[in-house]
Amino acid sequence: MRPIVEFAAVTRAYGARVALDDVHFELLPGELTFLVGPSGAGKTTLLKLINREIRPSSGRLWVAGMPAHLIKASRVAELRRRVGVVFQDYKLLPRLTARENVAFGLQVGDLRVSDEEARDRSLDALEAVGLGDRGDAYPHQLSGGQQQRVAVARAVVGQPQLLIADEPTGNLDQETAWQMMDLFEDIAAWGTAVLVATHNVEIVTRLQRRVLTLVQGRLVRDQPAGRTGRMAWLASS
Amino acid sequence: MATNLVRHLFGGAARSWARNIGSTAPALGSMTLLLLMSGLVGLAGFALHNLEQVESGQASLLHVYLRDDAKPPDVASLWRHLLSDARVAGVTYVNKDQALERAQRIPGLPQLADATESNPFPASLDVQVKKIDDVAAIDALVRYDVAVDPVYPTSYDKGAYQRIQAVLFGTAVAGFALLGLLGFVAVTVTMNSIKAAIHARRDEITIMQLVGAPRWMVRGPFVVEGAITGAVAGVVAGLITFGLTFAGIAAASGAFTRFAPGITITVAAAAAAIVLLVGLGLGSGSSLISLRRHMET
Repeated sequence: MRPIVEFAAVTRAYGARVALDDVHFELLPGELTFLVGPSGAGKTTLLKLINREIRPSSGRLWVAGMPAHLIKASRVAELRRRVGVVFQDYKLLPRLTARENVAFGLQVGDLRVSDEEARDRSLDALEAVGLGDRGDAYPHQLSGGQQQRVAVARAVVGQPQLLIADEPTGNLDQETAWQMMDLFEDIAAWGTAVLVATHNVEIVTRLQRRVLTLVQGRLVRDQPAGRTGRMAWLASS
Repeated sequence: MATNLVRHLFGGAARSWARNIGSTAPALGSMTLLLLMSGLVGLAGFALHNLEQVESGQASLLHVYLRDDAKPPDVASLWRHLLSDARVAGVTYVNKDQALERAQRIPGLPQLADATESNPFPASLDVQVKKIDDVAAIDALVRYDVAVDPVYPTSYDKGAYQRIQAVLFGTAVAGFALLGLLGFVAVTVTMNSIKAAIHARRDEITIMQLVGAPRWMVRGPFVVEGAITGAVAGVVAGLITFGLTFAGIAAASGAFTRFAPGITITVAAAAAAIVLLVGLGLGSGSSLISLRRHMET
């Protein structure tokens, strides 16, 4: 099976400070993977590299078949349309309703999608995240968990090959966080590779999924699914 | 697809422009002023250009005034002499009656012509000189001829044409300098208004970029917003330019005088259209410069 994400000796430095150091790993389709590590370990840097918000200082990085370490600024949007992103602060457009936010994520990627198709697909996506009845609500009318679900719906409505989430449960209560994780498991079951950066140690240990552990920019452990990690404590550090 | 394209680019830009009209107002005002000045200065320049053409033509036409008692053989000799000169394009004889008739068509002179019982206007040989620089030489050639009036031999006014050219050149330089200054102000103000719009919508821009919106979709509405500002300023300035010119032409025709050489309703309409196009270009161009400077990729 061809990897969706491939890091090969990727290093990223900010001036003299090395945020990510010689990182190697691959993500396969349908794989739900957690990215853990203490604050400042390089989790956000790694996610930003995947979404091509930054370039690696050295090494090779392939995302959904595109060489993220080589592509020009003019092709970044094309790469991002192959990657769904969920942010801790949701990043919904406040002037659009939940359904319009989801449809926006779809039509931004493909202008050939008609309004009717965008409406149907965005309602389907909202239905899938349990918000089929809140399509006309504006972000400020939704709770944090609901906003995060809208963000997930927006991220997956275009059926990306990869979904990355940066602390998606950071602003949610434990019950809502579990609902979010159920959602990510479903998405992975559809064949999408899902990479979740998190501090939530309970989720990481109970779900028994693959765990990548970063410490001071180095990938110190790549723990396969099905094992309880000895270093899971790092997620809460 | 086309519908979505238009909606994303133009619909969004129009809504945003209307929403941010307060912050756009200074750019709109300065651009309207610039375009209005451009239109008026452009029309004035066109009129001056036409005037220069008329003056150039008139300055190369030398009237050689003949003595009232000049003998026909002497006049004929002078005529042949001029015609044989390679610098001369043509010679026309104008008798005293024709000179009087011509004078009566010039504002102010009919009263002078009517004030005297005799015809005060001399017969002349009107010499069309090929190059304006040769007019002085032709004047020197004929000035002391026996058939020529010794008191007022020719219409040659040394330096008159050069003085007109100097005035026109000075006016053109001043006009361009004024337009350059106003253009700089308008572009700067428009760039700042787009910068403010980018700043106000930086979250929205970031989200669009992060979910994979292509660059044209992120930047396009700002360019369209600038173009809308330029177009609105252009329409206002164009209408004022046209209105002022139309009023000037109408007022001049009522007074039986000419408003400005070559300025007609058609020319005024063309100037208004050009002002609108310049506004569109200026608005979208300023936006593009501002985007290059202030929007991260």
